Amino acid sequence: MASEQCPVYASFFGLAGSSLAMILTAFGAAYGTTKAGVGIAMMGTFRPDLIMKSLIPVVMAGIIAVYGLVVSVVVSGNMSPGTPYSLFTGMLHLGAGLSVGFTGLAAGYAVGVIGDAGVKGYSLSPRLFVGMVLMLIFAEVLGLYGLIVALILNTKATNEC
Amino acid sequence: MGALGYASSPAAYAVYTVAATIVIGLYLTLTGYGESFDVGSYLLAISPYMWASTGIALAIGLSVVGAAWGIFAVGASILGAGVKAPRITTKNLVSIIFCEAVAIYGIIVAIVFSAKLGAVSTYTAASYFTGYAIFWSGVTVGLCNVACGVAVGLTGSSTALADAHDSQLFVKVLVIGIFGSVIGMFGLIVALLQTGKAPDFKV
Repeated sequence: MASEQCPVYASFFGLAGSSLAMILTAFGAAYGTTKAGVGIAMMGTFRPDLIMKSLIPVVMAGIIAVYGLVVSVVVSGNMSPGTPYSLFTGMLHLGAGLSVGFTGLAAGYAVGVIGDAGVKGYSLSPRLFVGMVLMLIFAEVLGLYGLIVALILNTKATNEC
Repeated sequence: MGALGYASSPAAYAVYTVAATIVIGLYLTLTGYGESFDVGSYLLAISPYMWASTGIALAIGLSVVGAAWGIFAVGASILGAGVKAPRITTKNLVSIIFCEAVAIYGIIVAIVFSAKLGAVSTYTAASYFTGYAIFWSGVTVGLCNVACGVAVGLTGSSTALADAHDSQLFVKVLVIGIFGSVIGMFGLIVALLQTGKAPDFKV
């Protein structure tokens, strides 16, 4: 059943892509949540009325984890032990996972640092809120680029053995 | 400097590794053994049981690393802040329970995967798929739980300190920890999806 184009070990790379998508975006989201969260807690002791609006960086870090989850689900949904799975598809899935993973890691890091500085500045000057949200959106969109590339790669998959 | 006079910084070790890789690669290529570097046959030569068992071990091991990291971070903050504000000690145990849930995810996954193991006499393509799936699922749930445990732990520590300052802040700052615990849940979902289709090892 195995052949040159569909070797038995092809699923190793596809599963690696699915896993790395979730793992790397989880690290990015965790960094963003922690960095921004500690800043919000510190800011909240002085201005408790601003905490609810300041949760935006934490929510955006969570969205980055969702990007990784989407790619993981899409990639592992296209794999099954019975159906033929080519090495080409396996490598595509690995690339998809790495693209959303590394961009999510970087985006989560950026969201964390911007959120931390943003909420601290927002507590001192309310005019900074719109600027902080705009910067968070630009950082978030970096993760979205990785998701787009991952989905483009996934659509190219063919399983001709 | 190392004991024998070599440079011992991390960058130096990276250079040594790259140099060794290039030397070995050139030796294999120039003596005609270039095809012995074969990733595919390496992946097939390792038994699927090794992949599966390593995955199960990493699932529970790394999840517990994340949970422990979170628990000691929260615990140290509660005990430190509790000197002056002993009222926070019982309420902030909920942050420690969130970190413990991360370890529970790991043990659930490890037990579910260990049910798939069984002794077979020959390996089929499906058994290789199961081995790889359990390995990568275990790595996924393990590393996602490390990230989640650290996030929940550090934000839980901030929750304890904010609560010690003003007890009105507890619920608002706890919400941040709840966002963090969702990350571990995603890792669990991905792990169960990956191995959902993997057949058991059976003769």
